[in-house]
Amino acid sequence: MASVTLKAITKRFGNIVALSRVDLYVEDGEFCVLLGPSGCGKSTVLNIIAGLIPQDDGTVLLDGQPVDQFAPRERDVAMVFQSYALYPHMTVSQNLSFGLRMRGVPKPDIHKRVVETARLLGIEDLVDRKPRELSGGQRQRVAMGRALVRQPKLFLLDEPLSNLDARLRSSVRLELKRLHRRFKGTILYVTHDQVEAMTLGDKVVVMSDGRVHQIDRPETIYARPADTFVATFIGSPEMNLYQGRLVRKDGRLHFQGSGFSLDLGGLQLNIEEGEVELGIRPEDIEIGQGRGGTAVLQEAKVEMLSNVGSEKYIHARLGQEGLTVRAPKDATFQSGQVITLTIDPHRVHLFHEGRRL
Amino acid sequence: MSRERLQETIIRILRVVGILFFIAIVAFPFYWMIVSSFRSLEEILLKPANLGLDIRTIDFHAYYEVLFRHGFLRYISNSVYVSVATVVLSVTLATVGGYAVTRLHFRGRGFMSYGILLIYMFPAIVLVIPLYVIFSRMGLRDSINVLILVYLAQTLPVALYMLRSYFRTLPAEMEHAGLVDGCSRIGVIWRIVIPLSAPALASVALYTFMIAWNEFLFAFMFLDTPEKFTLSRGVVQLAGSVHLSKQLVMAASVMVTIPILVLFFFFERRLVRGLTAGAMKG
Repeated sequence: MASVTLKAITKRFGNIVALSRVDLYVEDGEFCVLLGPSGCGKSTVLNIIAGLIPQDDGTVLLDGQPVDQFAPRERDVAMVFQSYALYPHMTVSQNLSFGLRMRGVPKPDIHKRVVETARLLGIEDLVDRKPRELSGGQRQRVAMGRALVRQPKLFLLDEPLSNLDARLRSSVRLELKRLHRRFKGTILYVTHDQVEAMTLGDKVVVMSDGRVHQIDRPETIYARPADTFVATFIGSPEMNLYQGRLVRKDGRLHFQGSGFSLDLGGLQLNIEEGEVELGIRPEDIEIGQGRGGTAVLQEAKVEMLSNVGSEKYIHARLGQEGLTVRAPKDATFQSGQVITLTIDPHRVHLFHEGRRL
Repeated sequence: MSRERLQETIIRILRVVGILFFIAIVAFPFYWMIVSSFRSLEEILLKPANLGLDIRTIDFHAYYEVLFRHGFLRYISNSVYVSVATVVLSVTLATVGGYAVTRLHFRGRGFMSYGILLIYMFPAIVLVIPLYVIFSRMGLRDSINVLILVYLAQTLPVALYMLRSYFRTLPAEMEHAGLVDGCSRIGVIWRIVIPLSAPALASVALYTFMIAWNEFLFAFMFLDTPEKFTLSRGVVQLAGSVHLSKQLVMAASVMVTIPILVLFFFFERRLVRGLTAGAMKG
């Protein structure tokens, strides 16, 4: 296994900048997830690391060695594609052994490794079948197996679960995590699904428009988003975010939004006054009168309730802004009802010009 | 009867009539050709309008004559050589070239891609005179290998066009998988693209073979020495000879036609579709 370093990787497709000075370091054995909306350049990063497309600028290093001059086959990386990209004219076992055969691994070793991998993934009964005779989940396993069997320096996984149905996806996700614990391989995993990113990643890279917004542990990404993009991209339902001004009244900080004001009380900030954005996650708002000493009360008017089964979301109006609050599953509210909310200033995220304060 | 039913009935009748008509105009000359080739000269001269074939009077003499007295054994081997060589060269070049314009990025790719078809727009008759002059001056005219070169120029544009269209339907991710798995570009073409393109390659091979086998104009213009004649050139030679006997020409024509038919039925079964099914998510 190897570490991966990207130094100022830039890629243009015509006039479109697909990647702009992307820097990244992935430790040996680390599970790193590239997360972002579609078209943000995350798959381009994988293709550049694999050597399938050349970067316009910057360097890719594997284990500290630049590999920019190497063809894909010389980089010793394995890739799992979103479409699986199995070889349709080969059986499962031929699909698995293909990479080993191309690399001149001795025949007995190939056989041994193919059998081991097939057993590990529970596809030993399918080895003589052609891909067209497999279900989606089975094809996905073969695609994973084709990467695992190679024992490469690095695994590149490009949305490997996005073609599975929801139930299968969560079970394969767990399995993937288990496999990684066992093999300790270096993995770069591309997804647009934040649940996958949060559950799988040792490290999450949030990207949009070819730029890296934040690289951190998933907990940190969630708790301390570096900018408003990360703040609203991670978390479901989305974080409530308001434009407003920070003012100091009687020695206390206040956030003035449109039609409401929030007492931020004892918050210590290195900014005095000015334009800011304030974010608060739906689950960080308490309904009713909370106990916290620093907490402040707000009143909001219920507009709608959405029920997701395990919990409910209240869509309310706070001044002229919309507000989403998480409520227990047995909560009952009428639309038009005015509710009291408790907001802890320490749970509030403040951004200035998009960056976290 | 309702209007729809009436329309449907009329369409059905017209369809049958149409099919019968086309079968008649295609199959009748063919039938006549075969029947005539099995007859003796007296029979043809005595009963020229007789269309029936009596099994007992089937006479292979015409085939024997054509093959061994009129040099058709030689013509057949010439035709096979020319056609097979054209197929091999055309399929090979079209595979490599078609792949290049589909997957590789290079200067002038778009121009090349369209230029391919542009060449095909020139009718053969426009090319034959200048080529005749050029090859005559170079002293290369009366040569089977030059004929192959000319056939290649005729078949390659369409072969390239067909293969390019097919390669475009192959998922690029599969080739990426091959590259990452340890193949070179050539390896990817050889181990992944070609096996998956078998149906398209078969179509191209069949098409090229048919063109080269049936071609007459260039063979007629370029070849002077009878030892170098191809089949179609040979048939015309035979038809134009003084001691014209119809059954011989018919037998020769049968020999031109049959290989194409056999090939067509043989390849048709191989033109299996959906070979890439199962590669992708599905």
